[in-house]
Amino acid sequence: MKTGQVISAAGHATLIGWMVFGGIFRTEQLPIEATEVSVISGEAFAALMAAQDSPTSQSEITQPAQPVVDNETGAVPEPETVPEQEIPEPAPAPAADDAPDVSELSPLPNAEVLVETPVLPTPEPDVAVEAPESNETPVPQASIRVAPEPVIAPDPEARPDLVEQEAVQQMVTGGTVAEPKEATAAEEAASEIVTEAEKPSAAPETSLRPPPLRPTRSAVQAAETSELAAETQKPAVEPAAEEPNTSSAVDDAFAEALGQDSETPSAPRGPPLSAGEKDALRVAVQQCWNVGSLSSLALETTVVVAVSLTKDGKPIVSSIREVDSEGGTSASVKQAFETARRAIIRCGARGFQLPSDKYDQWKDIEMTFNPERMRIK
Amino acid sequence: MMVRIFTTLMALMMTATLSLAQQGPLRIEITEGVIEPLPFATPDFVAENGSSTEMGTELARVVAADLQNTGLFREIPARAYISNVTDFGSAIQYPDWKAINAQALVTGAVNVSGNSLTVKFRLYDIFSGAELGNGLQFQGTTEGWRRMAHKVSDAVYSRITGEGGYFDSRVVFVSEMGPKNKRQKRLAVMDYDGAGVKYLTDSRSLVLAPRFSPTGDRVLYTSYETGFPRIYVLDVGSVQHRVLESGEGSISFAPRFSPNGQTVVYSQATGSNTDIYTMDISSGRSTRLTSAPSIETAPSYSPDGNSIVFESDRSGAQQLYIMSANGGEAKRISFGQGRYGTPVWSPRGDLVAFTKQSKGRFHIGVMRIDGSEERLLTASFLDEGPTWSPNGRVIMFHRETQGAGGRSTLYSVDITGRNLRPVRTPEGGSDPSWSPLQK
Repeated sequence: MKTGQVISAAGHATLIGWMVFGGIFRTEQLPIEATEVSVISGEAFAALMAAQDSPTSQSEITQPAQPVVDNETGAVPEPETVPEQEIPEPAPAPAADDAPDVSELSPLPNAEVLVETPVLPTPEPDVAVEAPESNETPVPQASIRVAPEPVIAPDPEARPDLVEQEAVQQMVTGGTVAEPKEATAAEEAASEIVTEAEKPSAAPETSLRPPPLRPTRSAVQAAETSELAAETQKPAVEPAAEEPNTSSAVDDAFAEALGQDSETPSAPRGPPLSAGEKDALRVAVQQCWNVGSLSSLALETTVVVAVSLTKDGKPIVSSIREVDSEGGTSASVKQAFETARRAIIRCGARGFQLPSDKYDQWKDIEMTFNPERMRIK
Repeated sequence: MMVRIFTTLMALMMTATLSLAQQGPLRIEITEGVIEPLPFATPDFVAENGSSTEMGTELARVVAADLQNTGLFREIPARAYISNVTDFGSAIQYPDWKAINAQALVTGAVNVSGNSLTVKFRLYDIFSGAELGNGLQFQGTTEGWRRMAHKVSDAVYSRITGEGGYFDSRVVFVSEMGPKNKRQKRLAVMDYDGAGVKYLTDSRSLVLAPRFSPTGDRVLYTSYETGFPRIYVLDVGSVQHRVLESGEGSISFAPRFSPNGQTVVYSQATGSNTDIYTMDISSGRSTRLTSAPSIETAPSYSPDGNSIVFESDRSGAQQLYIMSANGGEAKRISFGQGRYGTPVWSPRGDLVAFTKQSKGRFHIGVMRIDGSEERLLTASFLDEGPTWSPNGRVIMFHRETQGAGGRSTLYSVDITGRNLRPVRTPEGGSDPSWSPLQK
């Protein structure tokens, strides 16, 4: 009796469960792929089959002839080919080109090379060079705000303000009455033109970023020397240790972090370039680094080239110089350097896209041109 | 105590921060460049007298063709010029040339006086705004005006690429005319670019495998003049030739000069065995270098003359080997699938060019002398007979097309595998051998 009830209960439970949850396991019907067919006639089918049979006969016809083996490859010349080639043709009257032309084969008189040629006049300054020399003596740019005609003087009550503000008018209906303010003119309307170079910069005089930790080699040496000298002058008996002045130590650390230490004046200040900005510069130079005309020896030469950039990212041509090299000969180093130099000038003609607020970081660059991946493998 | 720890921690944090800061100038490494022809301009050379105008144009065209044929340079057409060069001594307007992206500018002047020809040239690096090297002047005869142009090209090529040129050189080859089963073959010599073809022999006897001497004044070749293949040496200046003595009852072929030009290395077949011999040209004395029962042939000296690369089937398959120039044990350098043959040592000494037959196709390839870095440069129905340019940058070979009417044509290819191009000859050509640069 119990067994029957258990079986019945289990069966009902299974049935109810399947009705409730069966949809979860329901498989979706697979899409049916339909292919369009076309009906062809018996003649067309026969023609199609005939066309497919043809390559067999073609391959037999176009079987490549065995190439004749050159004597130099080691095969002894086949006797039957020799007589064929030796069949004396009816000796024609020697054509003009059959007879060796001795005079034309004789070498030319040795060309005399005169290394000294008239010295060229000094070329005119390259006025179209985008980079360069002119930036060494910067000239304040003329302000675009200068009009050919005198500007009408502003109203006496107008006065420059840092932020241009519109005059506040009293509301006619409702609302709170705003405190009346005087209208201020835009700064451009100032009667006196202050160029960008003359304008006092709002930027901090010193960067908030910490300077590089490592001092220059000369600084280290000087420090070591002074320490050495101090040690020699140090009394034999150390004075009793005093309680450290922790406040001054913290102050010193902050002062060092804020770059108030003048021992590393050449270190760049400001935020460093991000990896993406460096990659963008790398890609920009790579596009013009053409190694196609380099010799194989120059392709084994790595050169380090230093260049200074103007604030608009253009290379100063006169600043491009070779810093270091590895591999190759002096001639290949020269070729590699010239190619690198050409790349910098070409792709920097319009200025490298670099963040102007980080100019201090990229005004001097050392580029290592390593052609290892470009070598002929 | 706590204050001291705090101070120390602060100092450590600042140290870590500072260590991340940039030291000195910004440093980047450039490892990926581009490989593209360098744009250059070659205006017509300035005629210094009325009779030189045409010559000035022709000279500039040959120089431009020389440079462009290398695949390393691309000529900017004259119609793109903003300014032109009308006076050889005038200053260069760099902005005008920079505007059309010319990176190099070749200017020249020509003066024809009777049979005398004077050619001057200067090379400018446009983006540097300076002359690249000093100007040069060549003097010669009007008949040799093409050599003048080639010499200018050699100088330009050398200054830009840093390696020697190869334009003022010649190629001796077998000129082929007629169908395959009745082909006439003659020795011919031409400029490297296929110009000025001259014939050294007639077509009465079959000639094979000419090879220039290191000085370019003699040619070794194999001829069936007596009915059997014998090695001959031909003086290019006088076109006189003589047979080099070889063993009686044997067949000699595949000769090649040693680097000093005093010795000839060649193959000699006796019965079914072929070995490599050397012969002193002055005394005619021969020395046998190999004695294996297999076929050893196609020997080629290293540039220093101390080693010889050759092909042999001693391992059961045709492979490349290197041995001392005095003979002795040989070292196998090729191990790939297929058959390797006709090895030729590079003038630089670092590579060996060869012919490879694999899977029904022929290839011209190069490998280092230890067999490493094998690189196949071509692939066709039949490529064979590589020869090196004097600077070791270009390989010339011949390619034969399929079928009874197939034609054999000379081709050249850069050792990078780029710039594969046919060398135009009046007739078909095979077995090229490149001369050294002419003096």
